[in-house]
Amino acid sequence: MTDLAYLSVADGAQLLRAKKLSPVEWTKALLDRIAAIDEHYNAFLVVTADKALAQAKAAEAEIVKGQWRGPMHGVPYAAKDIFDIEGMATTCHSKIRKDHRAASDAFVVKKLRDAGAVLLGKVALHEFATGGPAFDLPWPPARNPWNRDLHPGGSSSGSGAALAAGMAPAALGTDTGGSVRNPATCCGIIGMKPTYGAVSLNGVFPLTYSLDHVGPMTRTVEDNAIFFHAIAGHDPRDPTTANRATPDCLTDLKAGLKGVRIGVVEHFYKEDAEADPAQVRAIEQAVATLQKLGAQVKTIRLSPLALWTDCNRTIHQAEAYAIHETDVQERPEDFSALTRNRLLPGAFVSSAKYIRAQQLRGALCREFADAMHDLDAVVTLSSLLLPCRIDDLAAVAKTYDQQCRLVFNVTGTPAISVPTGHTASGVPLAMQIAGRAFDEPMVYRVAQAFCAATGFADKRPPIKIVERAVA
Amino acid sequence: MAEQHGLSKALKLDPEGVAAAVERGQKPLGPLPKGTTSISSPAHIFNPARFERDE
Repeated sequence: MTDLAYLSVADGAQLLRAKKLSPVEWTKALLDRIAAIDEHYNAFLVVTADKALAQAKAAEAEIVKGQWRGPMHGVPYAAKDIFDIEGMATTCHSKIRKDHRAASDAFVVKKLRDAGAVLLGKVALHEFATGGPAFDLPWPPARNPWNRDLHPGGSSSGSGAALAAGMAPAALGTDTGGSVRNPATCCGIIGMKPTYGAVSLNGVFPLTYSLDHVGPMTRTVEDNAIFFHAIAGHDPRDPTTANRATPDCLTDLKAGLKGVRIGVVEHFYKEDAEADPAQVRAIEQAVATLQKLGAQVKTIRLSPLALWTDCNRTIHQAEAYAIHETDVQERPEDFSALTRNRLLPGAFVSSAKYIRAQQLRGALCREFADAMHDLDAVVTLSSLLLPCRIDDLAAVAKTYDQQCRLVFNVTGTPAISVPTGHTASGVPLAMQIAGRAFDEPMVYRVAQAFCAATGFADKRPPIKIVERAVA
Repeated sequence: MAEQHGLSKALKLDPEGVAAAVERGQKPLGPLPKGTTSISSPAHIFNPARFERDE
């Protein structure tokens, strides 16, 4: 019998198209699982069970009639509660937005609706996609399915938890300084931050206009590519989206690595900052695997990690504060302390510092483009550290800048987090694979080859289903 | 300074948090790469054509 909890998008789509699986059956199985286990993980803020079943029934009726819309037709997914869905609150996991109602769907939600996907509900995040796993908000923070006591990563924490716990096969996330790739790293799944401009930000509550990206989160690389195709594309209402065709990420997905040129940015984690030895060992083994698979690997140098961090953080602080200034001034008590502390520095960033950060960004983008001149992809760590305890606020705050993800928000180029193994206690480890602007196909190709060779992404956390007493 | 920025309430609520924010916000950027000066173009250049819509 098919394990519907961990059924992939690709396999599920084949079964649905062949009418060997009903979208209603798949959706019901996931809704039952959410009801059975999510009280332990807090992934979902809202479960839209009735709407999901209605969408699943509609998909079933169309597929039965031979009107298959494509690989997301009848496939369940979850959305970070930062995406507008008509008639629903976009809470951003914040008390401040509790009573909001969206007038229309975010562009990507509409695309998924048009593709026939089934929305299971809206999932948790770090308040306003910043802050951290806060305990002073109307909803509890999402928990890491590998170990409830550990930080699941964020800010797309509910997306990561829902995927790892088998409550959804795909989830939407957003990424400004690593918010798709961090939960992917901590939860042992696949998280892609595409090129800036590849996916519309319309209807997504902003954190930092020039660094925000929408990203697909899944359990397999192939699923991620499928999900990316479903959400990518030009949006006339979003001037940041590129008016170009979405690159085909599936045709060469399994083409292997023979002759692929990969740069390793190892000074980030060997010289610029202290990384956990388990993360370093895992990426060293991963690089050896890439070589065995036929890739030509060489070490490269970029500017020090601290400079990338300064650049990202300055832009982030200034732009995020511009969005939240009035609420920070008038009702600071309504933010979680973690979020308030993340937003407040923006009040003190001078205009000159912000502009210098944008000048620095231009220089760093050129530097990365030059480094990629004779490379197809680069790899580096995602998190420098292991996930800390979720209730250790000092440790959580320390993790914000102990990472190499924000580099690719500065460049706006695609980067994916893939598992590189697990510690002896079962904590997921991960690295990033990054590429040139709009070269998502190459990033997916390297990720697919690595994941297929290692099987790290196939490992599942120890979820215990507790049977509920029936009244 | 916090009061000048309209942050009296935040200051009362969490004086240490505001003090840390001043430090973080005002921390200078690291040394810029060679060739980057105060007259270098920023990463994003305003392009009025991007605001034109076919409606």
